[in-house]
Formats: sequence, C-alpha cells, structure tokens
Amino acid sequence: MPVIVMASPKGGVGKSTCTVLLASEFARMGADVTVLDCDPNKSLTRWASHGAPSGVTLKSDVGRSEIVPTIRSADGDGKIVIVDLEGVASQLVSRAISQADLVIVPMQPTALDAEIGSEALALVREEEEALGRAIRHAVVLTKTSAAVKSRVQMELEQQLSGAGIDVIEPSLVARAAFSELFAYGNDLTAMMNDPEMMTGGKVDKAILNAQAFTEAVYERLK
Amino acid sequence: MSGSNRLAGQNARPKDTPVEEVRRVDEVGEARGFLDRTPRKKPRRKPSPRTHQLHPKVFPKVGEAIAAEAERLGITQGQLIEQMWEKWEDQ
Repeated sequence: MPVIVMASPKGGVGKSTCTVLLASEFARMGADVTVLDCDPNKSLTRWASHGAPSGVTLKSDVGRSEIVPTIRSADGDGKIVIVDLEGVASQLVSRAISQADLVIVPMQPTALDAEIGSEALALVREEEEALGRAIRHAVVLTKTSAAVKSRVQMELEQQLSGAGIDVIEPSLVARAAFSELFAYGNDLTAMMNDPEMMTGGKVDKAILNAQAFTEAVYERLK
Repeated sequence: MSGSNRLAGQNARPKDTPVEEVRRVDEVGEARGFLDRTPRKKPRRKPSPRTHQLHPKVFPKVGEAIAAEAERLGITQGQLIEQMWEKWEDQ
C-alpha cells in the first residue's frame, strides 16, 4: 500500500500533527499503519509513549542511511507507511521523497511557510525529472482559522492553484485538540470518550476535520 | 469511514531503488541545499587493545624494580609483564 511522506524544510508547520491524524484515521479504517519518526525532536515517539492507537506501529530514529530500506521493509499489502520528516533541508528528506507515493507539504498560511515549503515542492519536481516517474504531491494548509479565511490564506491558495499545485481541502484548522494529542497520546476518539482527557477545544469538530482531511488524502492514493 | 476497511484491497507499490538511483536523488537534493546532515561522531583516540587490568599486590621493592625496568626499556609496565609472561610460558 502507499507510502506517504510529510515534507517541509521548515519546522513547526504541522508535519507531525498531520502524521498522527492520518495514522489514527487510517488505522480506524482497518489499515495496518507504520509510522516512521525521522525527526530528531521525536514528536511522534513522545506521542506514542502515551499510547498509540491499535493498528499503528512506530519506528523511531530512522536516519539517512536507513530510510530507504526501512520504508521498503515496512511497505506491504494492506499496509500504509507514513514518514514524518525533520524540518530541515537534508538528504534524509530527498531520499524519503524518492520512495513516496504521495508527498504532503504542510504549510501555515504565511508568506514564510509558503516560501520555505516551496523548496520541498521544487525538490519533488526535480526528483520526478531525475527518476523519470511522477511523484504525486499536494499542499495542505495547517493551523488555519476556524472562523474566517484570512486574506493571506486566500492569496496563497490562489497562487498555489495558479502554479498547478494540488491543494488538499479541507485545510487543518488550528484546534487545541490536535496539539493536545501529543500530551495524551492515542487518537481524537479516545480523547472524546475519556472524561479525564480535558481539552479546551471542540473535539467533535476536530474529529470531523481530521476525517475529512484523511478522506481527501485517501482520494489521492487511489 | 470507520469499519468499512476500504483499504483492504490496496496492494503494495514496491519501488526498485538501485544504488545509482539513490545517488542521483542525493545529487538532485544537494543541488537544492538538501545536504547530508547526519551528526558526525567526535574524533577520539582508538581504545587500546590492552584492556585487561591486573591488580597484583607485590612488595614495594619488587614494584619499584618493575617500574624502573619498564622505564629503562621505554615500555609500559603492562608491556614488561607481557614479556615476562612470554618467557615464563617458554620455560
């Protein structure tokens, strides 16, 4: 089954959050999900240390020399591999992209995120040329406002669409529940069902957002 | 979406990645500033093969004599004991 790679040379754009949401939702759909934590900050390892959802297997400390064989060994029928990369421009990133069936570039709707994120998009296109095969890629806007679409966000969406870049709809809204997943572990459904997991946000809306996002990603994997 | 397991029918999509292809990917990445950023290990002296330590108690005179002889020969006390052991085994 497919290999999904979260790539952006900028840190803090939401790569780990996207990974956790997709891994949880795909596992809920019945897939056997392997998540590779290639980020030295070990965000996913910290998340899983509180408890990972059933169906999700985590592999930590995957470096440049191990990334290709690790993806290959984790890939298989009925399995999904999701790679959470470090937020720097490294050969680890370029090697992971070469193994991807879908590269997702998370981006906050800011000029800085767009500029640095576009480096990842350019790299994907250059790898496509070098390898002689298409690597599907898409941008997802993250930490967007739940209430209104900002002018910057609208302009960025127009620019991306104008450049022929696939933009995943819906965007991931800034939700307290998303960030609190890293404090409690597991998934959003567990968070909603456990009264001890207190969140200041609306978990039900976060779940709907995560499900719609996963559905949009699933459509791109067919 | 839950429970339907729509993903069950999807098969693996293996990619043949020979060494040359990885090299090409590295080159493309490097040209764009995606460099090898693997942390380098600090350079340090290689560990000595003489890792086993003896703790024999000897009379002070014998200890002083061994130390003086090792110094005269320009070797360590350990090396002197190794030479002595070789001669002992040859007997």
